[in-house]
Amino acid sequence: MTSIERRAFVKGAALGALAFTVGGVEILLTPQEARSRGVPFRLLNAMEAETIEALGETLVPGARQAGIAHFIDQQLSVPAEEALLEARIMNVRPPYANFYRAALGAIDRASQNLNGRRFADLSTVEQRDFVSLMRQNKIEGWQGPAGGFVYFLLRSDAVDVVYGTVEGYESLGIPYMPHIAPEKRW
Amino acid sequence: MATHEKVDVVIVGAGASGSVYAAVLAQAGKKVVVLEQGPDWQLKDLISSDFWGRRIKPASGPFLLEGKNPFGYVYQAGWGVGGAALHYFANFPRLLPNDFKIKSEHGRALDWPISYDDVAPYYDKVADDIGVSGDAKAEEKWRPAGKPYPMPPMKTFRHGEVWLKGFESVGIRMVPAAVGMNSTEFKGRAACIYDGWCHVGCPIGALANPIVTYLADAKKAGAEVRARSTVTRVLTNPQGTKAVGVEYYDDKKERQVQEATVVVLAAWSAQIPRLLLNSATDKHPKGLANSSGLVGKYMMAHFASGTWALFDEDVQNHMGTTGAQFMSYDRYGKTSHQGAFGSSFITAGSALKTSDLAGIPNARVDLFGADLHAFMQRAKRGLTRIGAFGEELPNIENRIELASDKDEFGMPFARIVHSFDQDAVALWNANFEEGLKIARATGAKESWSGRGNMPTIHLMGGTIMGTAAGNSVVNSYGQTHEVPNLYVAGPGIFPTGGASNPTYTIFALSLRGAEQLASKWSTVAG
Repeated sequence: MTSIERRAFVKGAALGALAFTVGGVEILLTPQEARSRGVPFRLLNAMEAETIEALGETLVPGARQAGIAHFIDQQLSVPAEEALLEARIMNVRPPYANFYRAALGAIDRASQNLNGRRFADLSTVEQRDFVSLMRQNKIEGWQGPAGGFVYFLLRSDAVDVVYGTVEGYESLGIPYMPHIAPEKRW
Repeated sequence: MATHEKVDVVIVGAGASGSVYAAVLAQAGKKVVVLEQGPDWQLKDLISSDFWGRRIKPASGPFLLEGKNPFGYVYQAGWGVGGAALHYFANFPRLLPNDFKIKSEHGRALDWPISYDDVAPYYDKVADDIGVSGDAKAEEKWRPAGKPYPMPPMKTFRHGEVWLKGFESVGIRMVPAAVGMNSTEFKGRAACIYDGWCHVGCPIGALANPIVTYLADAKKAGAEVRARSTVTRVLTNPQGTKAVGVEYYDDKKERQVQEATVVVLAAWSAQIPRLLLNSATDKHPKGLANSSGLVGKYMMAHFASGTWALFDEDVQNHMGTTGAQFMSYDRYGKTSHQGAFGSSFITAGSALKTSDLAGIPNARVDLFGADLHAFMQRAKRGLTRIGAFGEELPNIENRIELASDKDEFGMPFARIVHSFDQDAVALWNANFEEGLKIARATGAKESWSGRGNMPTIHLMGGTIMGTAAGNSVVNSYGQTHEVPNLYVAGPGIFPTGGASNPTYTIFALSLRGAEQLASKWSTVAG
């Protein structure tokens, strides 16, 4: 049996896209699909979602459209043992919503202090400058989880939705080559 | 509460070490129950995705991380049947003879109560049991001869090969890496197809995880594995002279007792001290097997100095295995680097993916936005890395201790207090410097050190082996000095950690301990 045949032979995933609630019913969608359908957020409020989208897009172009806010929102809404954000493997203590709320609050407070506006309302250049300072823990008066760590985790989330999917591999031209493929391109 | 029918052996943990004990003892005719805290993973659960691969790691745990270099454990920890060995990279270097006598030879750290020669036959047995690919003859420039590996070396790819010229320039000889993977079909298990998804679990059984090796043997011989069973205490008789079983909470969070003639603790190396300390009684007021006060002490980690290089050519970095293609012990001498102390183990050539902790974007953590995207475009074909693992010496201040916070079962959390000393930092730096020299000699277009926070890899120690209860927790077989029918298995029993990935040694020491237990059963069982 060739390698390619074996890959095909073992294909068949038990798990796939994430469960989103649409019209009171849970359905499997990718975060991108959830965003394009306007699926309501479970935990995030509108401002938090806006901040995540703006930050995600600053960190990894394409993260907004890939549904980073829906991705994080869905992951924060499920039990910790099912949540697969990079926060999990970086030893953040569940519930992960506590970390995200503290991080998003810190970003918008610091943005208000520095620029008089929330992060999402900054210009692209201002957002980039802000993130650069946050990465280096150089924002004075920062109140929340360390800026460098916030940068690392949110950047990882953005990487997950943009580059970590089957579509992300395709966009980079890297063969995905799964033994067992994710059922849906979450 | 339910008390289960008494069995011969209850094993806590279904990872690398627990699976070996389960196989050996079940095959010896013992009634074996394995209790595993996490889910009962099957091969079909091992989806090829960094995102889904996080499922087989714990969602944090009852540990508080303290010290100058807190031990970041989740990435490398196991959760569920197979343990961490369900997603390990299966690099199979051995410890070398110089690891066993550091105190005698250098007046530092600790000696093992055994030598390399005591462990070597078990390295060979494990290779025959579960399959190792490599070139044993090539390794014998650094270690005594042993049996050849049962399979030839794995296939190599350009992202490993491009480094060889650089290593040669500094006098480092690279040989095919010994890995617990199948370069050919082995005992009915498929050969590797080099897709680079080892780190999220190999569902075709080409990588020697416990599910397809010792645990499969154990089940075939009648061992029972109970997933979702969280052990909270080892129970002892009123005199405190014998273990009589364990207390655990089942999947419905109901308290259970499993009585057993022998108890084997094969959980994670931080969890075992937590369990022993939480099993204190009036006869063992400081915790079980802890009259020396050494339970939870001498925790150790490895650290890695990674060097990246970008080549113009397509180095096929998406192909291969997460583990290494090439390895070297040429810097394994304890004084190999001037101004530093400890062994270094060098590897080259691991497949890269597009996300997660070890993915391509984290080769340049400083980049974001358009700069990151431009880097991804360059790196997707030309990026590759090497690594040098470093040895941390045992330090009694690096420890596990119970905290006041409690988990859902009323068991105290544990603090893991960990700081690297100056020797470790010096070794880390020396390996970065040499890594850059190597990279520059390859002719790479760009090269840089992968510096960040000093990483903590492979937690070891905490229940170290030694010659007596005054200087250790267990003997060389893992049998506790104070409670003869209580065994400890895994890297927790290492008194020093060397610089080699520990799982091959975990398998070997567990096999040695399990065979001793089986052969001395009537004495141990009393």
